[in-house]
Amino acid sequence: MNEAGKIQRRSQADRVNRISDKRANDARTQSLYQPYKDAEWGFVNHWYPALFSEELAEGAIAGIQICGIPILLRRVEGKIFALRDQCAHRGVRLSAKPTCLTKDTISCWYHGFTYDVASGRLATIIGNPDDPLIGTTGITTYPVEEVAGLIFVFVRADEFPDQDIPPLSADLPIRFPENSEKFPHPLWPPTPSLLDEGAVALGIHRTGESNWRIACENGFDNAHILVHKDSPVIHAKDWILPLGIRPTAADCITPIEDDGPKGMMQWLFTDKWEPILENKRLGLKVEGLNSRFYRTSVFLPGVLMVENWPEEHVVQYEWYVPITDDTYEYWEVLVRICKTDAARKSYHDRFETFYRPMCLNGFNDCDLYAREAMQDFYADGYGWDNEQLVDTDVSPITWRKLASRYNRGIAKPGRGVDGSVKASSIRIRRLAEGKKLGYFVEKIDDINTARPSSGGKK
Amino acid sequence: MSDSGLRATFVFADSIAREALLPPDLSVLDGAIAQNVPILYQCKSGSCGTCVAQLIDGDAPMREDRATSLLPSEKAQGRRLLCSTHIQSSCTFALDYASDIGTVQAQKVHAFIDKIEFLATDVVRLEVELAEGCWLDFKPGQFIQVTVPGTDKVRRYSMASPPGDLPRIELLIRLLPNGLMSTYVSERAAVDDVLEIEGPFGSFLLREKVRAPHIMIAGGTGLAPMMSMLDVLRTTPGSKPQVLLSFGCATREGLFFHDEIERRQFWLPSLQARISIDRGEPSATVRIGNPVQAITADDVGNPDTVAYLCGPPAMIAAAHDHLCRLGVAPKNIFTEQFVASEAM
Repeated sequence: MNEAGKIQRRSQADRVNRISDKRANDARTQSLYQPYKDAEWGFVNHWYPALFSEELAEGAIAGIQICGIPILLRRVEGKIFALRDQCAHRGVRLSAKPTCLTKDTISCWYHGFTYDVASGRLATIIGNPDDPLIGTTGITTYPVEEVAGLIFVFVRADEFPDQDIPPLSADLPIRFPENSEKFPHPLWPPTPSLLDEGAVALGIHRTGESNWRIACENGFDNAHILVHKDSPVIHAKDWILPLGIRPTAADCITPIEDDGPKGMMQWLFTDKWEPILENKRLGLKVEGLNSRFYRTSVFLPGVLMVENWPEEHVVQYEWYVPITDDTYEYWEVLVRICKTDAARKSYHDRFETFYRPMCLNGFNDCDLYAREAMQDFYADGYGWDNEQLVDTDVSPITWRKLASRYNRGIAKPGRGVDGSVKASSIRIRRLAEGKKLGYFVEKIDDINTARPSSGGKK
Repeated sequence: MSDSGLRATFVFADSIAREALLPPDLSVLDGAIAQNVPILYQCKSGSCGTCVAQLIDGDAPMREDRATSLLPSEKAQGRRLLCSTHIQSSCTFALDYASDIGTVQAQKVHAFIDKIEFLATDVVRLEVELAEGCWLDFKPGQFIQVTVPGTDKVRRYSMASPPGDLPRIELLIRLLPNGLMSTYVSERAAVDDVLEIEGPFGSFLLREKVRAPHIMIAGGTGLAPMMSMLDVLRTTPGSKPQVLLSFGCATREGLFFHDEIERRQFWLPSLQARISIDRGEPSATVRIGNPVQAITADDVGNPDTVAYLCGPPAMIAAAHDHLCRLGVAPKNIFTEQFVASEAM
């Protein structure tokens, strides 16, 4: 026998995320979306936004983490390369102190392992150019696409074959007018797409402290309208929201399962969803309903589209990109087609003065609180068993099933990366320095000077 | 194999000896690798220490022009890092691991019963979890031996769960009248019982990275290895092959895992399933007949189709003939027979 000593049970720590017997009546439905419950660290082998174009200047290097995978981006002569940001030698994050001695290589600043940026192969070792290891190993590369001011990375498992990489459009929301017949939108003009000619993406991204699924489900959960009732934009625009919106038809959600993006469309502002105007028990009544018309849909790997929002001819995309199992990068991106410089300028001005402060902050700040409020309930895995769902939850449950069916891979729990050990000394030091857990690698400003916090005698 | 050089003999911990002729310009490690001697190594530059061996006989100095992590005292005791050693005469080295190091090795371990579920008239699903400190690895399709508690008899069961579910293992147990394991499972087994298991065994394995269509034919609890394979196919990065699973049971009362198969179809859109019962009334999802005949010429459009068969010997033989006739290459048909060994 390969165990030593007494025969005993393993610790119970890894028993989370299994269907509890107490909820046996739900076991069948729940088990249909078991893959989604397993995706604590996200879905891999999908395209995710990594940076805004303006965050990666010529020659710059940035280190980020998606689905527990450390990734480095570098722009060389306009072209962007993405590599695993973890030296094959001993795991050093190359981006912490970028060292590029030629345009086609990046070197580890610690022991000089030097990689070809295009292939990831170990090209040489600075101080050891004849080592037999050279040419026999390397680090994973990630395909990159840059559109409309956004940089996307195909975040893949190391073994994912090049020939199977899908186009970016497979992981972006469906487009209009090509889908106008299937999903008519009589109340607003065709929704722009990131991939349209002249598309300009403006937005923000920031780190939220919850699991990415909690964040994602918030985006299209129609019962969450309540948290927005006092948003500044609602009052500024004289919008009057219903108390809630509930499904009234079997086909209130249409799954999208054709070739191309996979996800679901919610038929908001049709008779398939009913606005609730009164709650007698609480003496609440909404008079003079004046909602903004919008429609939400969500697609793998977790990108929300809010059509006709915040204004006509503008669409809001949101991503909830997993960093670890308890942090995600929240992307709020507005897209508008700007065919002239004047249109671009006017859109930029509108973004700075209205969209960013009132909508992306303001309105969506409520959502950050809402997601965080659910995090503890789900963090240990038991929330999935213990949640008590109601009819409006048809949206998240449909999404969980579709995500279980069409994801291209479940991310393995992060190993050897930030967040795999929750209370590492470095994380604790960063907290003491007043820095949030984050998405970016902290760069070494001056390797000859200790960090201010490390003290020592003066 | 090189025909010049000095002879090196490698003796592994399992007493298996392998020989290689080493050209003088190659290190012992490079020469051994070139001739497929299973030496463990990593850095090949004298630092990591993985390729360490014991020189038993012969003249084999380590390179003087390279620093290594081997201590002088170790060198004096005859330890050598093979990546940095060149032989000057015929030599013998001892390795402190077995010659099948590269392959998954069978382990004897303990496991606790987590769940006993009667699925059909004669099928039980047993969920177990490896005990603290125990581990074994396996490939989808392999089996383990379980010692029937209270006896010294073992029974073989294919894993129905994928390796990714370890330390949890799921087995499908066919109940036979008066069978040793059957009696234990139906009359005495309880959650928290401890089982002795040994494994993995078997060469019925899912071939990796095959893009051609897969046909799986399973009779009764022969479904178990297919379930493990399906879960691995589903979670392997990259595009998924077409999979056709044909599963058959004798009667509707004996039919099980209908829901589990539906769930796999939901999760793996390229999976098609046909479920058959030998006799009884057909329904929308269950046909009458045997799972072999459920496969037709239309299912074998691709000459590279691979097939996995698991079930009783008669079914395997019939399925093998049938698939060959339909154009599946015999080398692409992999089989696992189960033989009832349950009689007391």
